[in-house]
Amino acid sequence: MTESFEPRIVGFLCNWCSYAGADMAGTSRIAYPPNIRIVRVPCSGRVDPLFVLKAFQEGADGVLVAGCHPGDCHYGDGNYHARRRYALMHSLLDYVGVDAGRLRIDWVSAAEGNRFAQVVAELTEQVRELGPWAGRQEREVAA
Amino acid sequence: MKATSRSDLLAWLDALSEQYTVIAPRMVDGELLYRPVHASDEVVLDFERTRLSAKSYLLPETEVILEIERQEGQVTLGEPRLDRDQVILLRPCDARALRALDALLLDRPPADAYYADRREKTSLIGLACPQLWDDCFCTSLGSAPDDASAVDVMVYKDGDAHLVEVITGKGRALMDGLEAEEVERPTPHSDRSGEQIAVLAPEDWPGLFDEAYWHQLAERCLSCHACTYVCPTCRCFDVRDDTTAAGASYTHIQRLRAWDSCMASAYRRIAGGHNPRPDKAQRLRNRYYCKFCYSPSDFGAVACVGCGRCIEVCPVGVDIAEMLANVAALAKGRSA
Amino acid sequence: MSREIQEGIRVQARELLGLGEISCVIGYEQGPKGRVRPAFVYDQAGTDRLVWDQTCHHNLVVYLHDRRKGGKTSAASRVAVVARPCDVRALNVLIHEGQVSREEVFVIGVACPGMAEGATLQAHCQRCRERVPVFYDALVGEPARVKLPADDWSDVAELEGMTPAERLAFWSREFDRCIRCYACRQACPGCYCFECLAEQVDPAWVSIAHGLSQKAFFHVMRAYHLAGRCVECQACDQACPMHIPLSLLNRKIAKEVEALFNYKAGGDPEIPPPLATFLKDEELPL
Repeated sequence: MTESFEPRIVGFLCNWCSYAGADMAGTSRIAYPPNIRIVRVPCSGRVDPLFVLKAFQEGADGVLVAGCHPGDCHYGDGNYHARRRYALMHSLLDYVGVDAGRLRIDWVSAAEGNRFAQVVAELTEQVRELGPWAGRQEREVAA
Repeated sequence: MKATSRSDLLAWLDALSEQYTVIAPRMVDGELLYRPVHASDEVVLDFERTRLSAKSYLLPETEVILEIERQEGQVTLGEPRLDRDQVILLRPCDARALRALDALLLDRPPADAYYADRREKTSLIGLACPQLWDDCFCTSLGSAPDDASAVDVMVYKDGDAHLVEVITGKGRALMDGLEAEEVERPTPHSDRSGEQIAVLAPEDWPGLFDEAYWHQLAERCLSCHACTYVCPTCRCFDVRDDTTAAGASYTHIQRLRAWDSCMASAYRRIAGGHNPRPDKAQRLRNRYYCKFCYSPSDFGAVACVGCGRCIEVCPVGVDIAEMLANVAALAKGRSA
Repeated sequence: MSREIQEGIRVQARELLGLGEISCVIGYEQGPKGRVRPAFVYDQAGTDRLVWDQTCHHNLVVYLHDRRKGGKTSAASRVAVVARPCDVRALNVLIHEGQVSREEVFVIGVACPGMAEGATLQAHCQRCRERVPVFYDALVGEPARVKLPADDWSDVAELEGMTPAERLAFWSREFDRCIRCYACRQACPGCYCFECLAEQVDPAWVSIAHGLSQKAFFHVMRAYHLAGRCVECQACDQACPMHIPLSLLNRKIAKEVEALFNYKAGGDPEIPPPLATFLKDEELPL
């Protein structure tokens, strides 16, 4: 696509692991692409697929949902539910034309600052290659 | 009266499209719809009825009625207007339906500025129906398949050719580009045969308000919005300030007006959550009372033209013509 | 076949209404212009109105929602409903989800020959693997002795074979026709929310604008909400005035649910719905 394209990525990060992982990346001075806009949520299980769809609708080029590693959920089983939901959501989004590469579900612990930076960098590059998301709202209104 | 060939009629539409947006029946992914046409060979002239009416070109599904620009503490307001005049080729019933919209939005001051703007910039070319189609009952509502009373120009089919009649001054202004021969012919008449349904006068409706019939009628209703959205006279809308629609943002707020449907359970819900019409039977009854009682008594126009669309699209066979006949029978039973 | 079923339904309806245990029979009748439509029969005299043919495509289980909402059919204790195998699967979903109790419904099950347009069976009936309802209180008709084909998901596969850009173009064209009448939702036995997210005001998930993205958002979300719940009765397709192939969307979800979780909607009540449970060690494609 165009040279100047900077992907806009929305990240839904769980409060207990992944958000703390992002914090760790920051305090450890690990550089990662500034393309991600972070929304802190209590748990990956709180991320209603509606949020992801809304993000894509309103112009996100990519979405990251990250939570505690399976087995480590602060609430016990929130991420297990998220895992099932997003396995389905992934294929549904792909089916309606949202390239599968635009949505990433991953697990980042509070200690994994490096891993957080790596996940964001990978997703950003992947979305950069896919180009701007063409399906966001357009020609909404007969003016 | 002018006589013209099919190809000259289509060439006329091409000529008109230089000055106007021409909206005519055309196939869109398997549905016949009134849509802007780019070339006249897309236009479908032989058809029964389009799936949707033409009302969206006067009262769009969604329109921006106010734009609020917020910048450095300043607020500017903008009022969008239609930038090009439009010509709509449509069935006489769809033209006549605009009377019901006029009655509410135009005739009594203050007129609705957006509607008035569109109405003024719109010319209507009627395509007479040769007959009543399945589900049609326009003749029961004082109209006919060839009713020219609401159009600016009327086109009748005459074998393989067409007869064109200028009805209004607005229509005369459209005629320049038409290759046609002036002929002395009486106005052609369509076949008006079909079932005549007795439609109760507006004053006869209030007495039937509490009939059990309304619950019986509505039992199968799904409370979807199909009937109201395909209806050429239904004109209810919702207004909301929006920062999320395309073209809007937190500094550029749009006030949107969009179609709404009285069939929706949330339609009548008010602040605090109270809903005066929680039951689907109340809502269906209201729709019919609006059309045949409230609209004529409050605004002077029956809000039904007998186009048959709501009968055609209802997923569960709710039939407005059947309702009219049943209600007439109920009234008769009461007075006997 | 249709005549036998029709006669069976009438006999059942007469008997049930005669016994007085049932307040209403929900079945089909012929409308004034010959189209079949849902019918509500409250007395024996009305049972002659009941018909059956291969155009009885409405899923009547949707009317059981009205009982929750205080509609007319809630007036008396128990109703009977004429139900095809797919309708009974839908009823099963409602029972599992605590929306309807089995005791309040008498199921007049139909051994279904399939719905047809002219001589051709409808697509979902051609691949139907269940010609007799999973449960019923009375069964009418003879189960057809036909070899039931396996569902090859070829319709879904055709779309899967496209590129994402082509799929986006396909669905954009389909959703663009949507008039937001919500007939799909209202005809769907699985859609029983008192307030749909499409009508929520705060937060307003869907703008009142009738734009393409609002329509797409609604349809994709509805499909997702039917994950593990869509019984493939195709009531949505039948209801849509704009002929949008909604079941093609829902079937993708049904296919994935079956592939990932080995789950079919409307079946065994002992198996928990796929999104209400999980396995700790499962490997899922993320």
